[in-house]
Amino acid sequence: MSTEMLEVSGLTAGYAGPAVLQDVSLDVNAGELVGLLGANNAGKSTLINCVSGLIAPRAGRIRFLGEDITRLKPDQIVARGIVQVPEGRQVFPRMSVLDNLLLGGTLPAARADRVRRLEQVYALFPRMQERSAQYAGTLSGGEQQMLAIGRAMMAGPKLLMLDEPSLGLSPLFVQSIFRALRGLNAEGLTMLLVEQNLTLTLSCATRGVVLERGQVAIAGDAAALAADPRTRQAYLGL
Amino acid sequence: MMRPDFFQFLRSPLLWVPVILAALLPYGLSSYHLAIGTLALLYVSLALSWNIVGGMAGQISLTHSVFVGCGAIFASSLLVRLGVNLWIAMAIAAAVSAAIGVFIALVDSRFRLGHLSFALVTLAFAEIGELVVSGSEWLGGASGIDLPKDRGQFWQFQFGGGSGYFWAALVLALICLVVSQAILSSRLGYFLRAVRDNEDAAQAIGIRLFRAKAMAMAISAALSSVAGTLYARYSNFVDPSLLASPNLTIEIVLVATIGGLGTPLGPLLAALVLIPCGELLRGRFGGSLPGLHFFLYGVLIIIVVLTSPEGMVPRLFGLWKRFVAGRARSRDV
Amino acid sequence: MELLLQATVQGLLVGGAYALVALSLGLTYNVSGIINFAHGDFLTLSMFLALAMQVAFRLDPYISGVLLFPVLFVLGAGVYHFLLRPVAHRHLLMVIQLTLGITFVVQNGLLMSFGGQPMRVPSAYEASLILIGDELAIRTPQLLAFVGSLVLALLLWLVLDHTETGRRIRAVHQNPRAAALMGIDVPRLRMVIFGVGIGIQALAGVLLVPGQPVEPALGFRYTVIPLMALVMGGLTDFRGVYLGALLIGVTEALGTVYVSGTSGMMVPYGLFILVLLLRPQGLFRRA
Repeated sequence: MSTEMLEVSGLTAGYAGPAVLQDVSLDVNAGELVGLLGANNAGKSTLINCVSGLIAPRAGRIRFLGEDITRLKPDQIVARGIVQVPEGRQVFPRMSVLDNLLLGGTLPAARADRVRRLEQVYALFPRMQERSAQYAGTLSGGEQQMLAIGRAMMAGPKLLMLDEPSLGLSPLFVQSIFRALRGLNAEGLTMLLVEQNLTLTLSCATRGVVLERGQVAIAGDAAALAADPRTRQAYLGL
Repeated sequence: MMRPDFFQFLRSPLLWVPVILAALLPYGLSSYHLAIGTLALLYVSLALSWNIVGGMAGQISLTHSVFVGCGAIFASSLLVRLGVNLWIAMAIAAAVSAAIGVFIALVDSRFRLGHLSFALVTLAFAEIGELVVSGSEWLGGASGIDLPKDRGQFWQFQFGGGSGYFWAALVLALICLVVSQAILSSRLGYFLRAVRDNEDAAQAIGIRLFRAKAMAMAISAALSSVAGTLYARYSNFVDPSLLASPNLTIEIVLVATIGGLGTPLGPLLAALVLIPCGELLRGRFGGSLPGLHFFLYGVLIIIVVLTSPEGMVPRLFGLWKRFVAGRARSRDV
Repeated sequence: MELLLQATVQGLLVGGAYALVALSLGLTYNVSGIINFAHGDFLTLSMFLALAMQVAFRLDPYISGVLLFPVLFVLGAGVYHFLLRPVAHRHLLMVIQLTLGITFVVQNGLLMSFGGQPMRVPSAYEASLILIGDELAIRTPQLLAFVGSLVLALLLWLVLDHTETGRRIRAVHQNPRAAALMGIDVPRLRMVIFGVGIGIQALAGVLLVPGQPVEPALGFRYTVIPLMALVMGGLTDFRGVYLGALLIGVTEALGTVYVSGTSGMMVPYGLFILVLLLRPQGLFRRA
């Protein structure tokens, strides 16, 4: 069952100045939850922003379900089924929770299924239903993270990419968000999870990839990575 | 105080040779071309003095028509209505302009306006200024003021004929250039650049923003005002629709920007090239196509902002350097 | 008393027309992040085009407006795509310089084509008056302008608040990057909205044109007044912007009547500076 979904090969990218990513390759297979780990500034966000089309890579290729998507624009990539939950949630603060969720499914293909998906999101995060009329900006950080994930689910993603969903949240919220992610993965959703929280990520991931200064330091089974002392070394930048 | 490069600048033949050559122009030019030269030099003063605020500090001031109008209209009114000597009237108008400038700077730093609000506030001031002039009989209203005949009496701020005004405009342009260079070579210039590049950071490292901006505004306003007085005396008539209109400011902004802001050279060269071109075009097409030269300024600024936002003069210098370097390389081979 | 009533009503009518220009400016600013100093010049452009169509085809300006909307839409979208988008994320100075350049091009293009003399565009209802009681006289075109702009404003509000397109527009305004991650084609949406904003100028132009002498330099005033309404209304709050425009209309009318002529016209500018200094978040919004 290892159909290749996302295939990143030889990716080099960055803003002005030296490249943030150097020749990085990475695969995600259907049904997997791949943890993309690394210290601050290791290039994790740059990588998923390249996949989302927000950054144009300098070199390398990104393929999704066999199609070359390297040069596609962000909206075309969402239409292909790759949806990102950005770092810092990025909800629309002066819109209701419901409006935020509906925007997640604004693409024509997703709009037909909006009612059904809305029910699924409410089932996943009952809090969102309670607060549906409230402005998103008034939610707590943890609730905003739930909203950001719910909003992404409204698009009906084939591949969900999450950028640091645990950042700045209380342990209780981290627990419930990871429980939800694990559940979604168990139902068959493929995920690429960018995280700094090593233990938590490896506890739910199928595989892990550790980035160190823009290059892949180690990659392998989650269990093997958790046991490998080099993981922590790369992580601490030693 | 001043960095040594300022004194180098003062002694440089690159400054004095063009100035001396320019001073000889009245002996060779027809009166029509001399008038164009005088106008160009007046615009050099206006562009250079606007550049102190707009270029060095990066604050788009749209209020400079008020300063020019103050120098032109208020000073002329003092002369015509109260019989004040025009030199003294010029100084009074310059002081009033400087005070308005300081007031705007005060408003700006008291309320920490961003670049956009600054542009809007100064624009509102400009509109008020225009309305003040057109509503006031004492200031000549919408019909303007006629100045008394020029009898060539220097102590009355009269410079005789075309050559006299050309030299006066040349002196004023030179003063604006030297003042600009002095600001650039002093701590004030450093502060203004800091304001332009990042106002918050400038505040954080303890630059007394208000003093820097107020100084810049006062100097810029006073110089613009003096240019306004000279303009009025030169044309013997104050035209409020020309000298108090926000359009004048926009024209100055466009000329300065096309040349390249920040250093004095950009606005200076741009005014020297564009104003004569504009005047020649107006002389040729003014009857059939009024506004053609402004239309072309507009096209030019759009091209400049899109292709070389640093301005034409720095851009051409860069190309020239590359060209010279390329020739040097090809000789080596 | 009579005078006060007449001036206030007059001011409200004029303010309503200002509001439409202010709302279209606000729409383009909020969605594209570009403050367009040439906004009013597109209004004069549409006035002159209505004039040309009246001279050439005997078309009533109100009909020309509908025909001109698509023309100005394409023009606005083109200006955004080719001129403004490249500098949109750069320093604000460049946007201001560029749009001032556009002002010069449009104004002087009109000057070259039509000359600088103020011209009038005749229209069917130009001279007709509506009398209310025996104290109040309203010029029909002004009433039409007020009602027309109110209808358009309501339409705009309906679209923004109650349609999928409106939701997308608000999303791009609040967080363009996140909007792109929702699958919204942000550059295209911005281009379309800029086109709509300029297109509305065609409608505003013909609503304002009857009885109003048009000249190329008029555009500047129709940039500055809407800008003031926009800032006074708090930039993003549509009701605030509308009220701000009405306030400018009323203070202008009262100022002209009670403070006399041109000095009275200063009142709105003074008010604007005061508002910007004392309530920079806008008149009607809490800090």
